[in-house]
Amino acid sequence: MAFIKADKLTYTYEGNLVPAVKEVSLSFEKGSYTAIIGHNGSGKSTLAKLLCGIFTPTGGKVLIDGMDTADEDNQAPIREKCGMVFQNPDNQIVSSVVEEDVAFAPENLGVEPAMIRKAVDEALAAVGMTEYALHSTYKLSGGQKQRIAIAGILAMNPQCIVFDEATAMLDPAGRREISDTMRKLNDRGITVITVTHHMNEAAMADRIVVMNKGEVAMDGTPRDIFARVDELRKLSLAVPQVTELLYDLGLPAALHAMEAADVIEKEIKKKCL
Amino acid sequence: MLKDITLGQFFPGDSILHRTDARIKILMLVVYLVFVLCAKTAFAFGFVVIATGLLVIISEIPLKTVLKSLKPLLFVLLFTAVINLFFANGDNILWQWKFIKIYREGIENAVKMVIRLTSLVTGTSVLLTYTTSPLDLTDGIERLLMPLKKIGVPVHDFAMMMSIALRFIPTLIEETDKIISAQKARGADFESGNVFARAKALIPVLVPLFVSAYRRAFELAEAMECRCYRSGVGKTRMKVIKTRPADYIFLGMSIIACIGIFFLNQVVIPL
Repeated sequence: MAFIKADKLTYTYEGNLVPAVKEVSLSFEKGSYTAIIGHNGSGKSTLAKLLCGIFTPTGGKVLIDGMDTADEDNQAPIREKCGMVFQNPDNQIVSSVVEEDVAFAPENLGVEPAMIRKAVDEALAAVGMTEYALHSTYKLSGGQKQRIAIAGILAMNPQCIVFDEATAMLDPAGRREISDTMRKLNDRGITVITVTHHMNEAAMADRIVVMNKGEVAMDGTPRDIFARVDELRKLSLAVPQVTELLYDLGLPAALHAMEAADVIEKEIKKKCL
Repeated sequence: MLKDITLGQFFPGDSILHRTDARIKILMLVVYLVFVLCAKTAFAFGFVVIATGLLVIISEIPLKTVLKSLKPLLFVLLFTAVINLFFANGDNILWQWKFIKIYREGIENAVKMVIRLTSLVTGTSVLLTYTTSPLDLTDGIERLLMPLKKIGVPVHDFAMMMSIALRFIPTLIEETDKIISAQKARGADFESGNVFARAKALIPVLVPLFVSAYRRAFELAEAMECRCYRSGVGKTRMKVIKTRPADYIFLGMSIIACIGIFFLNQVVIPL
């Protein structure tokens, strides 16, 4: 059974006539890794907030592990199951000390002190920030702050984490740190949904959902999606640079540099022989 | 200049003051404030300086940081000193030039005022903000004010607001710096003109600052909700706070020092 199931999901912001998300039906399996892409205003962030129950749909419904997000009684258990990492790392850190910030969620849940300690240590280890446990959050780099934010969500042991453009404000090094962390979390069985502008990041997912004008424009594996370069260009979206290069050369699609090298090597051998 | 403001910042560490229960530290701070404000004689002020110095030493906060935190206060200090120097009345005129008279009382008052202000700021930062993490502080305040909960005061919310305010001081200072630079790049002039012109020049800084602070608050609320924040209902703490005997000894010592001030006030050394 799908972990998150959206059925004819519609959401209209207050005071707007046009819905930001229109009749979207999607389902996400437990342990899956999905990237949602789309240009600005395509409704991808709204969709992400609907999928983890921060927004209540104005039409249709979202079921998280069988629980309807529109039901007030389900709010607390849904929050525990499904966490969200936001764009600006500064605006989601509550405390000025790393380990206290990570402990915020389990403290709110009323977990025993010894168990909180364990959860915090594990969460910090999972994002590779153990040595910073007693540091001041203010002095960390953007990528480190964002990893602390992820640890803060991890500490409540969720089954799903939704990243809302979590890498948009980071430099390339920070972006790499976060996408590596996402991959690692997914390997541990956590369902990952990431909203992103960066195509290289989207290429790391197992599935890509392309949003356009509040509707799902494409849905498939990165290989399928990035093979449709013309369609993506029509939606004013780019594909990863290597993919674009091979496409313009008229060669078979590739998602990563190494893969592209193989394709080019094969092509050269063919030409020489 | 804004970067120098260290007020409200926490320096993680493991000194005796860091390990002291936040509640005890808050009580000690109250005692300390009485202690500083009650000092009257030179002898008493000497004692205030020594006590404050001791606090700085046991906090293990580098002296440089402490002095840096006083830098933004320099103007206020100079201003009070000058006012006290020229506008005090007394019996012993030391120096006179036309209508300007300087009395010995004036000099004494100026020195005392400077010591008082410096000690207040240093003491508060060293005792509380530098050595107490915001969450500990929140917890301390919450527990101390617990009795007020019975009459319907939202103690937890109040304490949480305060700790978040402290946590955001450096973030907002950084933001202010950025906005000032951005407005300067657009030709804004913050340095010329009289006081009113300069105050008016700050409006283009304050408006974006407020807008962004408001947006931050909104996002933070969403993020806190995502982490199951329920306004303190059924909340536990990772670190169990225990008041150790050493904490009571600390509090006892500060109360004794505070009472001591009243005796020292009686000792008048003829200067």
